[in-house]
Amino acid sequence: MPWPTTRRVIGTKVSRLDGPEKATGRAKYSYDINRPGMLHARILRCPHAHARIKSIDTAALEKVAGFRAFHIVRNAGFECRFAGDEVLGVCADTEEHAEDCLRAVRVDYDVLPHAVKEADARRLGAGQGTVGSPPNGPQNPANAQPGGDFATANFDEQAYQGTSHQIEGTYGVPVISHQCLESHGLVAEWNQDQSELTVWASTQAVPNTANQLAQNFKIPAARVRCITHYMGGGFGSKFGPDIQGTVCAELARKTRAPVKLMLDRAEEVTVGGQRPSAYGTVKVAGNRQGDIRAFEVDCYGSPGVGGGATVNFNLLPYVYVTVPFVKRRHQIVRMNVQTARAMRAPGHPQNCILTDQALDDLAAALNMNPMELRLRNLPPNDPNALKTAPNTYMARRNSIYRSQIEIIRKMCDWDRAWHPPGRGDGVVKTGLGMGLHTWGGGGRGPNPTRITISADGSVLVQSSSQDLGTGQRTVTAIVAAEIFGLEPTDITVQIGESQHGPSTPSGGSTTCPGTAPAVLNAAEAARTAFLAAIAPRLNAQAGDLVIERGSILNRANNERTPWRQACARLGQNPVQANGDWAAGLSDQGVGGVQVAEVKVDTETGVVRCTRFWAVQDCGLLINKLCCESQVAGGVIMGVNYALFEECIYDRATGRQVNPDMEFYKLGGIQDMPQIYVHMMDMPERGVIGIGEPPTISTAAAVGNAVFNAIGVRVEHAPFTPERVLAALARRK
Amino acid sequence: MKNFTYFRPTTPEQAVALLENRWGNTELLAGGTDLHDLQKEYVAQPARVVSLSGVNALAGITVDVKSVRIGANAKLADIANNAQLKRLFPSLTDAADQIGGPQIRNMGTLGGNLCQRNRCWYFRDEHTNCLLKTGQRCFALDGENKYHAIFSQGHRCVIVNPSTLAPALVALGASAVVQGPNARRTVELARFFRAPGANNEREHTLEANELVVEVTIPVGNLANASYEVRHKQAYDWPLVQAAVSFERGDGGVRNPRVVLGHVAPTPHVSEAAARSITGQGITEATAGAAGRAAAQDAKPLSQNAYKVKLVEVAVKRALLIAAGQKRYWEL
Repeated sequence: MPWPTTRRVIGTKVSRLDGPEKATGRAKYSYDINRPGMLHARILRCPHAHARIKSIDTAALEKVAGFRAFHIVRNAGFECRFAGDEVLGVCADTEEHAEDCLRAVRVDYDVLPHAVKEADARRLGAGQGTVGSPPNGPQNPANAQPGGDFATANFDEQAYQGTSHQIEGTYGVPVISHQCLESHGLVAEWNQDQSELTVWASTQAVPNTANQLAQNFKIPAARVRCITHYMGGGFGSKFGPDIQGTVCAELARKTRAPVKLMLDRAEEVTVGGQRPSAYGTVKVAGNRQGDIRAFEVDCYGSPGVGGGATVNFNLLPYVYVTVPFVKRRHQIVRMNVQTARAMRAPGHPQNCILTDQALDDLAAALNMNPMELRLRNLPPNDPNALKTAPNTYMARRNSIYRSQIEIIRKMCDWDRAWHPPGRGDGVVKTGLGMGLHTWGGGGRGPNPTRITISADGSVLVQSSSQDLGTGQRTVTAIVAAEIFGLEPTDITVQIGESQHGPSTPSGGSTTCPGTAPAVLNAAEAARTAFLAAIAPRLNAQAGDLVIERGSILNRANNERTPWRQACARLGQNPVQANGDWAAGLSDQGVGGVQVAEVKVDTETGVVRCTRFWAVQDCGLLINKLCCESQVAGGVIMGVNYALFEECIYDRATGRQVNPDMEFYKLGGIQDMPQIYVHMMDMPERGVIGIGEPPTISTAAAVGNAVFNAIGVRVEHAPFTPERVLAALARRK
Repeated sequence: MKNFTYFRPTTPEQAVALLENRWGNTELLAGGTDLHDLQKEYVAQPARVVSLSGVNALAGITVDVKSVRIGANAKLADIANNAQLKRLFPSLTDAADQIGGPQIRNMGTLGGNLCQRNRCWYFRDEHTNCLLKTGQRCFALDGENKYHAIFSQGHRCVIVNPSTLAPALVALGASAVVQGPNARRTVELARFFRAPGANNEREHTLEANELVVEVTIPVGNLANASYEVRHKQAYDWPLVQAAVSFERGDGGVRNPRVVLGHVAPTPHVSEAAARSITGQGITEATAGAAGRAAAQDAKPLSQNAYKVKLVEVAVKRALLIAAGQKRYWEL
């Protein structure tokens, strides 16, 4: 069944059902779970960026007050390859005693050479590697490894033919941290005979976390229950139990007591996930009219000690994928810091930084308005896709971006407010900058969903899918309320428990497009079953019954029965029905355009992002309020990326000097712009995810706004006072 | 956190009697915004903690005709919001109002702000054994030092003093009343701070068995202001702070004091800037010249040359604010 063509609840603004729970603290996150007799676990970590464990002496643990048990993760001989690598877990009666226990364990290390800065790692030759071979990749112990090399045929001969203007610029973004407000971790509890395990875990993948623990402990998957009722952010860093999950459950098994293990802030920053850095030199060339002909990028970045790309190599240039001549080279620079984890649109913000900022520099060289340059170089609607799948991004990308740019042009008064780079009087200069982005966000199954309608009129929707804080609970209620003629607050939603069956992990902006169709299918099946069940009791034919707002209409005699009265006819036999995701109700591929306004104090180098505009499509809107909130959240994250965030690693100690929220800077409300969001509703495309897209082009837009304000490019984010002052000094 | 014995005396004399004549084993606890962090990081591991929360003699703010007395236990928020202080010493109340966030200002105290430990990220890392612990090396000297000192000549440790109240108080000619084991003494705040260089040294000149009772500020007809350059507007340390005070006469500025914060191991008094502005009317040009004079002896480290420029700007802007001039940098 397709989405309803007239929608009463879907697409409106609905406040989060769990808002009051969260605002009052009644919502219990994994961090808040406290079980009777619960113990507290901590993990001893290697303090060195690279060291081999010589020996582990746990003898003194027995003397520490409150000590209960330890679990060795790594034995003597193991080579720790970043500061934070897990060595041993320990649990005690209180968190403070567990911390004391860590200091009672004596570990001797052979300290080995390390590299924690991209420049240092790039200088190391073959044979000097400090990182070993990547765990899941080809054997190659070199720090710097090829990450891709591509050129359009005849690039060298033809790319620059007929071009009149060319720029070369350097752009970059550092390693940053996910900084989940709720850190990674869980509470683990076994049953009496230790045959069943229950965990309250902070995870983006409830069934996956349960399944991985079942595998680790060699028990049937059905004997592990993962509960995630509320979750304080993951951004791509929380797809399984991790080592701390296994350590926690192991300590719970050993002590026959519930055990809590949540990372502290320093651990969250140093082992909880990072977004890879990306630095590149970009050449762009075009003709006098602004047709871009050549795009050349030579970039590198660090995914930490593991392998993996740090840009989306095949999407360079980003968005403007039909530039005729492209050359790109990427180097993966492995260094002795934690391995990267997916972070809100992996590779895309980096790609956008390398593309959209270079475009503005070309526009300046051409003496052209960067909005016009973008309009001129947008990729065309794909003619093949237009024939086969006319509602997709590929088929409509040019039209989508064009209409989005027109909307944002009016929203931010671009034609009046934009000025050529560096123009403007006074000490504090204002600038406008823009960026474009794209993302997939397609749905898939399995996301089996069960709906129960009971005689008291209640509607219960159950699935194992999780709410990361994005409004999943509310989305589920909205879809059910639409079908049953009820309000979202009438629906009881139970999600975030693995015993409800399989569900897809919340990654890649797939949760809403993966689950909303499943809820729709389940609700429609439940409606059919419900009408069939009550029809005889209403002396009606099921085919004559339709659900209206709050009541059931018998079209044969125009009699209306209020919902509750109709449900009362079910007696002792509640109606249950199931549904799952099915193709045709969701799609993938979105575009977005963002504009930043900044004010740069040219005496101090301080940049303030003052206003921000975002136009975004995501197919059929389910909850317009949550969509706007997602976009605002993405913008906030991107403004932080542009102005504040950076993991700073010390060359001598190999340790991160700012694993905190003090010198790892995150803007407060005073540092955030006024954010204006425009959501495009495109119901004919079905549901598409919104999680990732709105954070992608924010940093590039801010970078371009800074360039527009001061007329000189600040090469590397974050655009801090010292970097802005250095750039201004270069101009003089 | 290492277990400790908790004491809660009710008079300054009792509190001092609980202290020892060496640092480290016994620590004073005021608002707890610094000490508890250090304890949780195992950087401070006192066996005894002496809380000042029950010492009523340390409380209160009293404004008289000739002087102002602020008890060491006065909260930062109380200082920031005191109407009389705002009128007399906007340099102090503005500085207090920008420290940390509301939680910090509602717990942090005057005494704690003056005596807090520095924020150097090497010092605060349990696993990095720097000069201020038992190590032999300052890691910031050739390491990550963008927030460190640009006036550190003659010092082995290149921290910046973290107090934002101190530059304002020094510029206002304030003194601290200190309770020792046998008597009270008064020390000018200009002489209160020192550059530590070893684990038995603190950022101030108090003995281990002394505590700050109150701070007194003479009331005169001083124009005064404090200006911070901050990376973030919310919850951040100043990159550079300038506090200024001066008397206004027919012949221009008299007896100016220019004190820089967050640029040296102690609040940094700039005689050169004071000389530059003495006898001048305050304009963008004269204030700018004073700023350049304040910065002239800076010796930046590898990553903090930008702070030299910020000193120039902060001094200029602080002087213009104190003189009631137009804030040309605000839109």
